[in-house]
Amino acid sequence: MPGKWDWLKDEIGLSNLLTGGRMLFKVIQGKLSVDDLTKCALCPNMCRHACPVSIIEGRETTSPAGKARVALMIREGRLELNLDNLEPLYTCLGCDLCSLYCPFEFSVADLIRPVKEKAVSKGVVFEEFREVFENLETSGDVCGKADSSADGSGRVLYFRGCTVRNERPELAEKTVEFLRKLGYDVFTVKETCCGLPAYNLGNTELFKKIAKKTADKLNATGAELIVTSCPSCAYAFRVLYPKHGINLKPRVLHVAELIGEVIPKLELRAEGTVTYHTPCKLAIHLGEKELLRGLLERVEGLEVKAPRRELFCCGHGGSAVSRLKPKLAEEIAAERREQLKDGATRVVTACPSCELALNGDGLEVIDIVEFLLEMMKK
Amino acid sequence: MTLTFDEVLKRPKRDGSDKAVAELKSLLGDKVSTKPADLFSYSHDYWLITFHWLLKGKVPALPDAVVFPESEEDVVNAVQVAYENGVPIYPYGGGSGVLGATVPEYGGIVIDLKRLRDLRLYEDDLMVEAGAGVNGYYIEEYLNRKGYTLGHFPQSFYPSTVGGWVATKAIGQFSTKYGGIEDMVLGLRAVIPPGKLIELKPHPRTATGPDLRKLFVGSEGILGIVTKVWLKVRPYPEERYLLSFASESLEEALDSVRRILHRGARPAVVRIYDRVETKRHFYKFEELYGKIGTVMIVEGDSKLARAEKEIVEEEFKGVPTGEEPVRHWLETRFNVKEISEFAPVGVVIDTIEVAVNWSGAMNLYENVIRAMKSVKGTLMASAHASHFYDQGVCFYFTFAGVPPKGKSAEEFYNAVWDAAMRATLESGGTISHHHGIGRHRKRWLPEELGDAYEVLRRIKLAIDEKDVMNPGNMVV
Repeated sequence: MPGKWDWLKDEIGLSNLLTGGRMLFKVIQGKLSVDDLTKCALCPNMCRHACPVSIIEGRETTSPAGKARVALMIREGRLELNLDNLEPLYTCLGCDLCSLYCPFEFSVADLIRPVKEKAVSKGVVFEEFREVFENLETSGDVCGKADSSADGSGRVLYFRGCTVRNERPELAEKTVEFLRKLGYDVFTVKETCCGLPAYNLGNTELFKKIAKKTADKLNATGAELIVTSCPSCAYAFRVLYPKHGINLKPRVLHVAELIGEVIPKLELRAEGTVTYHTPCKLAIHLGEKELLRGLLERVEGLEVKAPRRELFCCGHGGSAVSRLKPKLAEEIAAERREQLKDGATRVVTACPSCELALNGDGLEVIDIVEFLLEMMKK
Repeated sequence: MTLTFDEVLKRPKRDGSDKAVAELKSLLGDKVSTKPADLFSYSHDYWLITFHWLLKGKVPALPDAVVFPESEEDVVNAVQVAYENGVPIYPYGGGSGVLGATVPEYGGIVIDLKRLRDLRLYEDDLMVEAGAGVNGYYIEEYLNRKGYTLGHFPQSFYPSTVGGWVATKAIGQFSTKYGGIEDMVLGLRAVIPPGKLIELKPHPRTATGPDLRKLFVGSEGILGIVTKVWLKVRPYPEERYLLSFASESLEEALDSVRRILHRGARPAVVRIYDRVETKRHFYKFEELYGKIGTVMIVEGDSKLARAEKEIVEEEFKGVPTGEEPVRHWLETRFNVKEISEFAPVGVVIDTIEVAVNWSGAMNLYENVIRAMKSVKGTLMASAHASHFYDQGVCFYFTFAGVPPKGKSAEEFYNAVWDAAMRATLESGGTISHHHGIGRHRKRWLPEELGDAYEVLRRIKLAIDEKDVMNPGNMVV
């Protein structure tokens, strides 16, 4: 069985192999190559169609490869490290839909992060982000409101996260109710942020600081399992913490993953038609692209219609665009609403941020827990 | 003369730029950008020469401003202001061209059309109306949802735009059945100098003088800016067959396809790979290794598709090798890594596509391969036949090499290109099948067109008296 590059050895004569061909084979053997950012910068944007920013803003500079090019030029000192030049790098939702179509499977957000980190370390920070950093430093909450909850105890910790605590507290109540109906001994504690917003905005040092504090708190609870409604928190706990050497002892699940483990015995029934919006963090970062649709399809009698596009950001991912360019974030959300309406006007999702971003304009967006709880009460 | 890095640096800027930019800003506000990151981002396309610029950190061709129109009126305003001030205009879609057509050679104003994203399907008419900025994948997804397809899948499907397809006379991989973009365009709107929006209404057919739609198809921005098009759509195919074959010779495979087409069958996809490229792309398929590999897709109405499949099976002289090679091709056809991997370390790799009548096909193939290999530094040259017609075929050549000592990458690159273009012309082929002309290929266009070249120049100057529409592109 011939190997991938055997054809080239066949084709290049021996004499060429000793001269110009040597360079070619060094590339093939991986002995001569450039860094990933440069490779991305040279690509003809084969993932453009997947990038919500690129589709909506329509600006080459903020296309996936465009961001890589700007980052490359800044890194090489050919574009100045200033806010004007950094703005394209922060016009990224961190959804990583680009990675699905990338021949190299790159995440553009990961490739450009070192430039953001350098900017933060040099104090080149947008005013809109300074507030986030200050809030996280002082109160441990992205909105600046320290959590005043009492600490409970038990085996399963429900971690609410900043968005649920600040903007959707009723979802927290319903999720606790839902988990107890499933037989879990669930409790909550006074929380600090998972730290992801700092990470998204390039402040990796602050992220690590907050993450250590949060991990220590969560470890001290003695919980065996942490369940959260927020896929971003789940991603931070499960992927980023270990990556940065921060040990979190409990197992971590997004609530949809937990439901996936128990849904066979629930025997749920419903009528009507729904579509779904799978959050990027759940789909790409936690590897659960099919989970939400799968859960809905197990509900007897429910018609599940796919949206026009399976995966697309709600416009509020990545912590940056919604703060720096709220109009663009809203335009991305509007585009996603149109895609969802092709399926149905009732949308089930699994992320509080997505729910808030997408609700309205003829769409009724509901969290998977609220949706299922509704059925369990009948 | 072909542009070189140094020559671009020496190009004088046209006067009037500062005034035009100031006027545009007052007229269009934040739809105009002069930010360094934006100017840099619009300084290149995917012409290999511009990759070298990027790697060296040079940006010799910077625009003075970038305009992001959100309506046709914005485009009209931009063209008006630029024309009045004699400032060059460069339309920009997805920027996925490979021949420098969008490089802002003389400075001036880039107009990025990606915000013109209106879409509307006319089901009874089997027609879709699309703004020039609609993304390729986006329009196909929109149509598929409603049970239709455009059938247009260029290699740049993911990054490119509808307007860019029309401007460059693009073609997709499924063209044997669906045709090139020129077969799909029913009508279009464009802004021409001095800033006038014209409409060529969609009709099934019209005999109202010369077909002016064709004037804009493939004009690469030298005549005007396409803002909207009406395109044919088809019902989504009911049935699809995947077929592949191994042949002993390229001639045998080509003859087989010629017979299939002459019988009236229209497989959507036909690709014939020479031995080198069969090994390169299908090394996992033992029965294809060392042979000439052909992949085909037959699709459409189930009765018609079945009939076409029978014709293919009757006429193709070669060993059937099943569905898997086609499936492999479908999965890997958008996997474009090589340039990103090889270009930065000094390996020059590029593709050159030409077309020729059946009677001259083998001769052209052999001549072009020989010509490219004869350039010192060339390590490999190969081809596949990528698009087919009743009358002939497109050969898509790939070459790779390392510049010999004393030669720059650009000198080597231009030498291989020149060898290939000369061999093509001498073999009775046409110098471009679908990548177009751009700044790179224009040096061979006078030879290709002969006396007709003057007609093109006159049309260009009749419409664009001040030569501000993508100056330097296509025509000298």
